[in-house]
Amino acid sequence: MQGKCGLFFTSYPGEAQLFPSGFQKLMIGLFLLVLLAAPAVLNVYLTSVMNLIFIAVIGAVSLNLLTGVCGQISLGHGAFIGVGAYAAGQCTLHGVPFPLAILTAGAVTALVGMVFGVPSLRLKGIYLAIATLAAQLVLEYVFLHGGELTGGSNGLLLDSPSLFGFSFDTDARMYYLLFFFAAASLLMVSNIMRTKFGRAFVSIRDFYLSAEIVGVNLFQYKLAAFGLSSFLAGVAGGLWAHYTGYVSAEQFNIGLSISYLAMIIIGGLGSVLGSVFGAVFITVLPEVLNVLANGLGAYMPEISQHIVALREGVFGLVLILFLIYEPEGLAHRWRLVKAYWKLYPFAH
Amino acid sequence: MRVGKIITAVCIVILAGMMLVGCGGEEKKPAETAKKDTSPIKVGGLIDLSGPTSSVGVPYAAGLRDGVKYVNGEGGVDGRMIELDVQDTAYKVQQGLSLYKKMVNTDKVVCIQGYGSAVTEALVRNLAKDKIPDISASYSAHLTDPKKAPYNFFIAADYTTQLRAALKYFRDTWKEERAPKLAFIYPDHPYGLAPIPGGKEYAKELGYEIVGDANVSLKAIDATTELLPLKKLEPDFCWIGGTTPSTSVILKSAKNIGMDTVFFTDIWGTDETLVKLAGDDANGSYSNQAAAVYGADVPGMKAIEKLTEGKPQMSHYTRGFVSILVMAESMKRAAQNGPITGESIKIALESLRDYDPMGLAPAISYFPDDHRPNMAVFLYKIENGKMTFVKEENLERRAEWLGH
Repeated sequence: MQGKCGLFFTSYPGEAQLFPSGFQKLMIGLFLLVLLAAPAVLNVYLTSVMNLIFIAVIGAVSLNLLTGVCGQISLGHGAFIGVGAYAAGQCTLHGVPFPLAILTAGAVTALVGMVFGVPSLRLKGIYLAIATLAAQLVLEYVFLHGGELTGGSNGLLLDSPSLFGFSFDTDARMYYLLFFFAAASLLMVSNIMRTKFGRAFVSIRDFYLSAEIVGVNLFQYKLAAFGLSSFLAGVAGGLWAHYTGYVSAEQFNIGLSISYLAMIIIGGLGSVLGSVFGAVFITVLPEVLNVLANGLGAYMPEISQHIVALREGVFGLVLILFLIYEPEGLAHRWRLVKAYWKLYPFAH
Repeated sequence: MRVGKIITAVCIVILAGMMLVGCGGEEKKPAETAKKDTSPIKVGGLIDLSGPTSSVGVPYAAGLRDGVKYVNGEGGVDGRMIELDVQDTAYKVQQGLSLYKKMVNTDKVVCIQGYGSAVTEALVRNLAKDKIPDISASYSAHLTDPKKAPYNFFIAADYTTQLRAALKYFRDTWKEERAPKLAFIYPDHPYGLAPIPGGKEYAKELGYEIVGDANVSLKAIDATTELLPLKKLEPDFCWIGGTTPSTSVILKSAKNIGMDTVFFTDIWGTDETLVKLAGDDANGSYSNQAAAVYGADVPGMKAIEKLTEGKPQMSHYTRGFVSILVMAESMKRAAQNGPITGESIKIALESLRDYDPMGLAPAISYFPDDHRPNMAVFLYKIENGKMTFVKEENLERRAEWLGH
């Protein structure tokens, strides 16, 4: 179905391949090459936007694993990312090597995520959303009143990550580091979705009772979903902390959680590719709106003031339009585009 | 399917356009000549023009713009005009970060005029790395320690120093035998919490009796529940840390429950809108201000009145104006010693000693190991719906207060 015309599978492993056709492998290879060469071509500003996208991709794909794949709505994702940021920050401040600090951040966040995932056995849908909102509020409180652990209202100041004496202190260098982690996260989630875990998650999302009847241990798998998702959120948080060099409680507020939810809704729930599309869209949208506002402001200075105020409205409008016209997200649109070209020039 | 085709075509065009922009957006070479450099000096403004703090961000930005107009009108800096590009950060760290990268790397600004805490603090490490000074309106004390934030500056005393100065004033004017009772009302927010530990410590030192605390959110619509326990403690003075909406809620609720105390607020807690929001309930409250209010009898006000054609502006406007004056002065000093770069501006800023921004704010000095602009604050009292100047309170520059 997803592959090119005439591609038939004769085995389950064949069907479960990530890139079943040579053409796909070639294209993904070319795409990776372009991404690897990008910092040489892009200016520092665009490289920094790419860096923000990479971090957003990790956060979005982790939330998509929990919400899109397993059906567990979370309004506390921003706070989980914050847990990772503080954990990684504390690790590097205490001299832990960067890769280990990131992994520790992931592990700590996984643990925290699982604790807040416990109510998921009893709570579903909107109830679970409120429970995770509680997690967001509790964690925000901890960030602000954590004393030495979180730096309180002063936050934590961090250095650029370094590995074997090599410091990732420029945007181009960070680009490769973040690119690596983003690619690894995408690969990890893609693979999780192909395993027993992934299938169990989908069955829970589709109908929990059927899942239980076919032998899926609901509690265990829901907790696993929270753990795996939070692990990646922690990684994203650790990377964000070291990219900006500063962690403060204000960065991980409910707004961040909502923007990650917006990413996966716009990108496509339950789709790895959708997480990427959503992350790119939400990260780039303010930049595009900025460019538009500045462009218009140059011709109509008196209007630019209103455009600035309108921007939030435009953001909301785009979200609503997506929910109405493209509820399955950009990933669905991408599939339609591919299908269109597959059949071209025949419409049907 | 037709709709699908149109969407596909639009997507392709947008993608192609973005690629072209991405490839071609790099080079912008100013004409370097052997003659005297007359190119504009580029300055970036990262201000909250939308979002939760925009009500004060917009007048602050207007002050910045008029400050630039004034400096350029006076001949600019060494014959060069200042070119200020104000962009909206909407109090979002990510937006501020990417705008900053664009300003520094593409637009080649030499200085940033910053604003909100979230963005200013997130940029601390980047500023130091890029050697770009940021003169912001985020007055957290920890930004005054050059060991932690070498390229951060601001033109007002930090939040804690302001609170300490007010405490000193009230202690000095206290006539009774017993120790004055003091309570703190603030939001559970980084900005609200920042001055509390330092303020409490100094209050104890001055001999205040601290009777209690209350948390009132910045978004509160009523504060009766929080104030009732405080009322029982009968504080003589209540510190309000917050913004004008939360201050007005506190003042109104206090009036409703008949609380008899002297309220004093921090720099963002009182401005010209408080009188409109709280009406008569605002009368009698004190506030810390770092700049003269519109129409004050100081030399700089004439320039402001001329620029604004006599149309009253908020005190935030004046602080924006002063921020530009300080920056321009440092640029002039930097120009005398060589090219104007971020680093030379920083060195020049650290050479300022008792620089008087035309009376619009207390005199400003920065030192290489101490970025506290001054230890002074203007105290204002609201009387008959007007902010009236009470005193400029000065504190000693204690080393142990740096950064706290």
